[in-house]
Amino acid sequence: MNRILLIEDDAETAEAIVAELADRGFEVQWAGDGVDGLDRARASSPDAMIVDRMLPGMDGLTVIEALRKDQVRTPVLVLSALGAVDDRVRGLRMGGDDYLTKPFALVELVARIEALLRRPTDSRETTLHVGPLEIDLIERTARRGERELELLPREFRLLEYMMRRNDQLLTRAMLLEEVWNYKFVPATTNLIDVHMGRLRHKVDGPGEPPLIHNVRGSGFVLRSRQ
Amino acid sequence: MRQIRLIRSSTFLWALAVAAAFALFVVGLFAFIYWKLDDYLVSRSDRMITTQIHFVADLPPARRISAIADHLAQDSRGVQYAGLFDAAGTRLAGNIDNVPPELGLDGVVRSVRLDLFKKPAVHGLVVRAVGTRLDGGDVLVMGRNVDETHEISSVVGQALALGLLPAFSLCLLAGAWLSVRAERRVEQVNQRVQRIVAGELRERLPKGNTDDSFARLAGIVNGMLDEMETMINALAGVGNDIAHDLRTPLTRVRLALERGRTHAATLEELQETADKAIAGIDQSLAIVTALLRLTEIENNRRMAGFGDVALDEILREVCDVYEPIAEDKRVALGVVIDRKVQVWGDRDLLFEAVANLVDNAIKFTPSGGRVELGLEAEDDTALVRVSDTGPGISEQEREAVLRRFYRSDKMRNTPGVGLGLSLVAAIVKLHGFRLIIGPAPGGRIEILAWTGRAGRPITRRSRRLLHADASQIG
Repeated sequence: MNRILLIEDDAETAEAIVAELADRGFEVQWAGDGVDGLDRARASSPDAMIVDRMLPGMDGLTVIEALRKDQVRTPVLVLSALGAVDDRVRGLRMGGDDYLTKPFALVELVARIEALLRRPTDSRETTLHVGPLEIDLIERTARRGERELELLPREFRLLEYMMRRNDQLLTRAMLLEEVWNYKFVPATTNLIDVHMGRLRHKVDGPGEPPLIHNVRGSGFVLRSRQ
Repeated sequence: MRQIRLIRSSTFLWALAVAAAFALFVVGLFAFIYWKLDDYLVSRSDRMITTQIHFVADLPPARRISAIADHLAQDSRGVQYAGLFDAAGTRLAGNIDNVPPELGLDGVVRSVRLDLFKKPAVHGLVVRAVGTRLDGGDVLVMGRNVDETHEISSVVGQALALGLLPAFSLCLLAGAWLSVRAERRVEQVNQRVQRIVAGELRERLPKGNTDDSFARLAGIVNGMLDEMETMINALAGVGNDIAHDLRTPLTRVRLALERGRTHAATLEELQETADKAIAGIDQSLAIVTALLRLTEIENNRRMAGFGDVALDEILREVCDVYEPIAEDKRVALGVVIDRKVQVWGDRDLLFEAVANLVDNAIKFTPSGGRVELGLEAEDDTALVRVSDTGPGISEQEREAVLRRFYRSDKMRNTPGVGLGLSLVAAIVKLHGFRLIIGPAPGGRIEILAWTGRAGRPITRRSRRLLHADASQIG
């Protein structure tokens, strides 16, 4: 069971996050301020941390900085009401691994925590396999079983990202940031859906069991097992 | 109070100082002229009497008396003095009563006090005189009254009085006038500024009809006020717009929740209600996010994220992202790139701007239409053009589309936050580029970019490199 440390000063927000994470099978510890949070982080060495930026006593970024100085490599998700790009950059530079702007959807938070816990190992393998899917990173080719998939470069990039994170919920925001390198929310809200539709059309042929699943209201999952 | 302020005003004090300096200078000048002239006249007169005394002394003793008499008789102005005395000092001829004791008989001209013969009234007249002892023991004295110097001094004095006094008063008057004028203009400006402070934002400083520094300053301040008025109005408008635009989704949320609370009989129904509410809140949040983003870009004067950006790559990427969207809508999306162009800017922001333009173009182009992305380069400029076969932006709407939350009436039902073009405008402004909206029909928006780095002069070298780069590709 993964242990998560949440450092958040707003009790109501913290309660909702703790409840949601507990429902998903995480063991959650909660600290209400930076000093307490730092103590707990040092004492219990959690698997991942969620840190609010603005905390009483000790700023969230200071907590992360202190931990990184102690060579603690625990993945950290920074929460902030500040959405400014500069803050984002600062948050990540201070050693945060991901950044989520308040207000956020709980599914988004969970998806990102799961992504942090299952960081894809930068394998040196040149081929990736998920179920019947196989892609060659050097030849830039993809196949499902015996069937060759004709993918455009952007579709290949998307499929590669999903295969590295199979069985994991990928939210639209995550895909926008990671695959398309978007730093903003596009005006056309179904941008990702359209792209995903194209890819799914090619990956899941007629009569084949679907591999790409739409999780209603949240995002997409590439599932290897039925 | 007014008078005191006037007198203490720096303009007036300066005028006073200048007037005083001027007066001093003039007095000095006149004194110098007087001194020089006096000196010249005295030395001329000295030369004259020296010549005369030599002339008389060289005459044979018998003719001296008559020569002196002739000499004095020729002097109609009565400025010449001469006297011949015997060794005992008794007067033999001339109009001088006795040998002045301070006159050395060595042929050197001195200023001495003379007593005139038979004219005791003019006792102690000071004149330039010279004396010499003749071979017979007689003493010859000749003198001249340099009365021209008196005339000159009176002329100089009159000229001074005539010239200096009016000049001095003129200086003072000019100073007073200038300071009154400055004071009045400051007072005018003060009144206008007070009105502006009181909220009369349309008020401007008086320009005046002269092209002096005051008018220029007023022009500068007015320019600043124009900009501020626009900003303040924009801000005020934004408040209303936000309230209005947030109200719509929030009303929907409220209605859905209210209905759901009373009418939902099953869990599914309640979940449906909650989904509706979440969607409405998400829309409200999208508005807030877009607005914060806009403010962030507008306020971000720092250019931390700036670097060399390849515009052609951005265009290709945007095209790549939007191709499926256009295809779904049966709109053709094409990209025409003249040649590779690099500009100095923030890559992510420029991408956002172009993406927003393409997003809009696709949204407003009817099925079967075409959206085209173009990149042209010329000398120091690059032109990014997004054109479409949609309705375009009419003349009347051109200003309005750049305003926040503006949505064309025809497009009321199109989803979107209505901040897209404002964002593009803000990004373009941050880069110092220009946004050009082409005439309808057919949408056509262009970003005119400078290929030289903003805020730093293009060196000839970098320019040449840029061109070499471009020609290699082209």
